[in-house]
Amino acid sequence: MLSLIEAPLDKPLRIVQFLGGHGMRRKLMSLGIHVGDIIEVDSRSLFGGPVLIRSLTNNTTVAIGRGIARKILVTLINE
Amino acid sequence: MSKENLPTIVFIGQPNCGKSTLFNSIAGLKGEVSNFPGTTVKHAHSKVNIKGKIFQIIDLPGTYSLNPSDEAEREVLNHLFLEKVDLIINIIDASLLNRSLELTLELMETGYPIVIALNMMDIAIKKGIKIDIEKLKKILGVPVVPVIATRGKGVKELLEVAEKEIRNPSKYKHPKLPKPVEEKIEQIADKLKNNIDLPFNKRFLAIKLIEGEKYFLSKIKLNRKIKEIIKETSHHLEDWHKLPPAEIISASRHHLSMKIAEEVSRVEHERKIGWEERLDEILMHPVLGYPIMFIIFFIFFFFIFKVGNPLEELLYEPLSSLREFISLKFGSGLIYYLTDGLVQGIGGGIAVVLPYFIPLIFGMSLLEDFGYLARVGFLMDTFIHHIGLHGKSFAPFILGFGCNVPAIMATRLLESRRDRIITSLLIPFIPCTARTTIILALIAFYLGPWAALAFYVFNLILIAIIGRVLTFFFPSPSPGLILEIPSYKIPSIKSIAQKTYFKLKSFINFAWPILIAGSIFLSFIQYLGLDSSINSFLSPLIHNILGLPKELGVTLIFGILRKELSLIMMLQALGVNAENVLSAITPQQIVVFTVFLSLFIPCISTFTIIWKELGKRIAFISASLNIFVALIISVLVRIIFQLIR
Repeated sequence: MLSLIEAPLDKPLRIVQFLGGHGMRRKLMSLGIHVGDIIEVDSRSLFGGPVLIRSLTNNTTVAIGRGIARKILVTLINE
Repeated sequence: MSKENLPTIVFIGQPNCGKSTLFNSIAGLKGEVSNFPGTTVKHAHSKVNIKGKIFQIIDLPGTYSLNPSDEAEREVLNHLFLEKVDLIINIIDASLLNRSLELTLELMETGYPIVIALNMMDIAIKKGIKIDIEKLKKILGVPVVPVIATRGKGVKELLEVAEKEIRNPSKYKHPKLPKPVEEKIEQIADKLKNNIDLPFNKRFLAIKLIEGEKYFLSKIKLNRKIKEIIKETSHHLEDWHKLPPAEIISASRHHLSMKIAEEVSRVEHERKIGWEERLDEILMHPVLGYPIMFIIFFIFFFFIFKVGNPLEELLYEPLSSLREFISLKFGSGLIYYLTDGLVQGIGGGIAVVLPYFIPLIFGMSLLEDFGYLARVGFLMDTFIHHIGLHGKSFAPFILGFGCNVPAIMATRLLESRRDRIITSLLIPFIPCTARTTIILALIAFYLGPWAALAFYVFNLILIAIIGRVLTFFFPSPSPGLILEIPSYKIPSIKSIAQKTYFKLKSFINFAWPILIAGSIFLSFIQYLGLDSSINSFLSPLIHNILGLPKELGVTLIFGILRKELSLIMMLQALGVNAENVLSAITPQQIVVFTVFLSLFIPCISTFTIIWKELGKRIAFISASLNIFVALIISVLVRIIFQLIR
């Protein structure tokens, strides 16, 4: 299991777990991002900036701050 | 809001689904913005005539779900709960069918008649997505009307279907949740039936209570027995699935929408790497993104200057000849002063404010509708993160460049109160249109565009420093950024022109009367000779501390009303025309005056909205902070100028 900080770019990943609190999970879910979904990390900005992910499940692009990205755990999907 | 008993249609959709564009294309230029009882958020509403019948239509804020995570989203839930709703028009971005349906399924729990407006069909088709509308209708059991809001396509059909639905609503079934959840919902809804007298769907209420939605738990008086059942239910569900009930329900809707989306849509061709992805690779590039952002904003402000400046110059001349004419005609009595004040007020609005106000709002709406502002939020998070906030605060900041008042209201998008307070304390330092006008009219006009840009950059650095200092007083961390980056949309000029028109209209209705009244009042004060006593009272500050001509003292009083008033008053107070200002005041003094004026206090409207949104204490903290910073910076600027000389 990896966090979104360590996950490789542009590779399909499956969300395994949200470690964060209630507020963060609620926000992610209302954006249509749930455990089990397939996502990709599109880019990571420098200097501890946010991570850009794209959900392949529903085609949404979301910017996620570093602190939250650290709490989203994923596994690599082997094609 | 009118209390007429008109049938009411509310517009609900996720952010960036084109909801407001659709609303505006229906409301045309008649739309109005006003407060609803019990809320401070302004909703646009209008009346529309469908087949000879009048309906009220209301544009609610964009929301991802009915599980609100910020105050703007909470408004939608409040409205559904407290106000009269006869029909929901649910706007869906056809190219994001899957995610959008999650909100639709939630809306279907309310039991209100629903019509789905399937928007952006053109974009979906371009992306190779084909949607079987008949099948979607059949699965959901509600009418679905394809529309292209930017071009007004399908709007007439949508309204006709809406009218029919209000008369004769389709009977749809609520979406099925997992069995253990359904059982509990039924049980609680049943209990509610006997206990609460609400004109509201019991099932929806039961779901909200199981989800633990705080708003409902606090608003509704429940007897102890029901409270206990609810508590026991959530424990039961949590044991069953190892997740809080709200998450179980949300996940089940997520899967259901995925299933429906799969059934009704077909991807006709492989998603190609289009211009959008290529553009994002450049605009959101970890390194290149920043210089590009700088260039875009430079061009943006340069454009405003290039449009505004010649307009301003063009309008000045007739204004000063009119004033000369008045002085010849009326001599120097009371009538002269009052007429001159009136002309100054009206002319000031036209010649000073509008030339910059219109291009600024227009340009801002263009960047927003194109989708660039969200990208700026992503880029800026890196920096804003270091002043203890997150990238989402950037949206209110950007709005602050237009006007601080909506910017303070937009802080409702922030999840934590701490972030709201810090952002709201910083917003009054952002040069809004009024202050941009002053910067452009004084600094750019007399010292050149580069000086104005330098002033701007300095202002932004100042905000960063104040932000950094403020976070010492609010040490707890910010919850962090979660921000959707919408796909690019070619903005519709018509819809942007409409937005600009609405904002302009509210400016003219609200600010211009104050401007004209203030201008006449100042003329009157001058006629009575009171201005000199105000000036000598403020003289220690203006003359001794800031080193400015003491005639400017009285203008600051008007700056509290609206900043641009001070600018108009400045010319009047110094007794000069725009062309010969430099005969009365040095360029250095112009800079000190501009610095002090733009920082010294939030204008009365901003102060009021901070009070309303965050309380008296924060409003006074904000005012004191501004005065304190304005004094320090203006004196520093003065000292620097003296050292250079």
